[in-house]
Amino acid sequence: MNLFGRRNVLLALFALAAIAPHFVNTYHLFVCNLILVYVLLSIGLNILVGYAGQLAFANAAMFGIGAYGTGLLQVHFGLPFWLAFPLGAVIATSVGLAISLPALRVSGLYLALSSLAFAQFTQWVFLHWEKVTFGAGGFKTPTVSFAPLPVSKPIGLYYLTLILAAVLFLLAQNLVRSRIGRAFVAVRDGEVAAESLGIDLLRYKALAFGLSGFYAGIAGGIYSAMLNFVSPEGYDLFQMVLQKAMVVVGGLGSVAGSVLGAGAIVALLEALREVKGIQEIAFGAILVVFILFMPGGLVGFLKRKVPGWEEPLHRKGAGSAPAPAAAPAPAAGEARP
Amino acid sequence: MLDIRHLKVAYGITEVLRDVSFQVPAGSIVALLGGNGSGKTTMLNTLTGLVRPVSGSITFEGAECAGLPPHGFVRRGICQVPQGREVWPSMSVNDNLELGAATRRDWAGIRSDLDEVYAMFPKLTVHRRRQAGSLSGGEQQMVAIGRALMARPRCLLMDEPSAGLAPAIVGDMVDTILALNRRGLTILLVEQNIGVAAAVAEYAHILQGGEIAFSGPAAGLIDNPAVLRSYLGR
Repeated sequence: MNLFGRRNVLLALFALAAIAPHFVNTYHLFVCNLILVYVLLSIGLNILVGYAGQLAFANAAMFGIGAYGTGLLQVHFGLPFWLAFPLGAVIATSVGLAISLPALRVSGLYLALSSLAFAQFTQWVFLHWEKVTFGAGGFKTPTVSFAPLPVSKPIGLYYLTLILAAVLFLLAQNLVRSRIGRAFVAVRDGEVAAESLGIDLLRYKALAFGLSGFYAGIAGGIYSAMLNFVSPEGYDLFQMVLQKAMVVVGGLGSVAGSVLGAGAIVALLEALREVKGIQEIAFGAILVVFILFMPGGLVGFLKRKVPGWEEPLHRKGAGSAPAPAAAPAPAAGEARP
Repeated sequence: MLDIRHLKVAYGITEVLRDVSFQVPAGSIVALLGGNGSGKTTMLNTLTGLVRPVSGSITFEGAECAGLPPHGFVRRGICQVPQGREVWPSMSVNDNLELGAATRRDWAGIRSDLDEVYAMFPKLTVHRRRQAGSLSGGEQQMVAIGRALMARPRCLLMDEPSAGLAPAIVGDMVDTILALNRRGLTILLVEQNIGVAAAVAEYAHILQGGEIAFSGPAAGLIDNPAVLRSYLGR
């Protein structure tokens, strides 16, 4: 195990994130929390785009659905955050599963277009279904209370996000190293071959879309609680571009890359606040430079330069052993002679 | 074993297969020949569920299979070695092989089948951790065949296994096909290379314009002037 290997770097980042609240001011804590939200978003998006190869543009919309779901359940039904939050994630997951159905019939640019249309439709609903969503002005959500615990809301929320990000990181990491992850890659690398060799496209595409919806829903719920406010413009096309940029800059097909990409892009955007006015231009320019000179993303660069930085499709030590625990339950009537 | 009757397949209004009937007896090697655009690949894609027939029946071991999804065909025991090999380039050889068993859950059986594939293609053992896309054409063909075997099929459909291989390796491919057959696999071989087909198959059908234009013993094909005329245009 190399000192600067993948695992050590990630552990160091986690330790840094765990002690960060003691050293930073409220604003920087907010930024750190934002990074963690984007870590969740880009891991989910990377499973869908980087592993399963589905070029979909609905992640910002599912992020929004998570935020609106969590917020509206509190406002309209008086549910506590601790109930509204998981329900919001469940709603986003179901929407993710639902949009996987058209993805079975279309792929590539057509999938990009149809998912884009879905995202615009979601925006339209946020804007115009005023009775429920409060329209363009958005709405305030109740402040989350960490009552029995002696922590303030920002710190409590930060640690909640950190724990969720760590757990969902490990989940994603284990998933992509299981048979499911390899099936995703097979669908990405050769859909027809995958299909003709008996990989059930419906199941794996639905799983990838559902997972990305779940991650986006969790991120949306937390984001709404961070801001105490939900409005449509946070979940528009620019949001989508941002998430795509994180996945590409971090490295497509790498869970660790999502973490690095999210951190890098949020930090970059914050740094560019200094050059107000040309922020977007500078951001675009940096992205172009990245794509030109580091096509594999940060992780591609690390893989080449740092010995011990690997992105295996297998669990350590497990070699090539199949992973029965992680495999989906056999479908009914599957018995083989 | 595999019984195709009055199969009709169309893409939109374009009929690709008009009324195709033929049998692949258990334990045999049957060749399906034909020029470009004669419907060979469509035939195989229909036999793996990638394309649904308009009408007609596909019975395998007595059970109707037409209309099943692709993984349904694989579970019944029909598996395809696709044209152009289609290995998953960024995955290791070992991952490619294991994913061939995507429809199976008998882990011990998968293990032993994997060892068997490596025993059959010792060259792959050396490369098991390498990305499949970095292998030579012949080695990729071994991966594609091994991957299909991992589904433990009883009937193997091979789409132009000799295409794009160096002539020296085509001979190895012939040996491989014969070896698979000796192990009890029934094989339907689609070929452009009439020499390969004549070397391995007992029986051959020639597709032309979506219909079976000729059926007969494969060995006699090369000397049959009518066949050569209709098939190769000589």
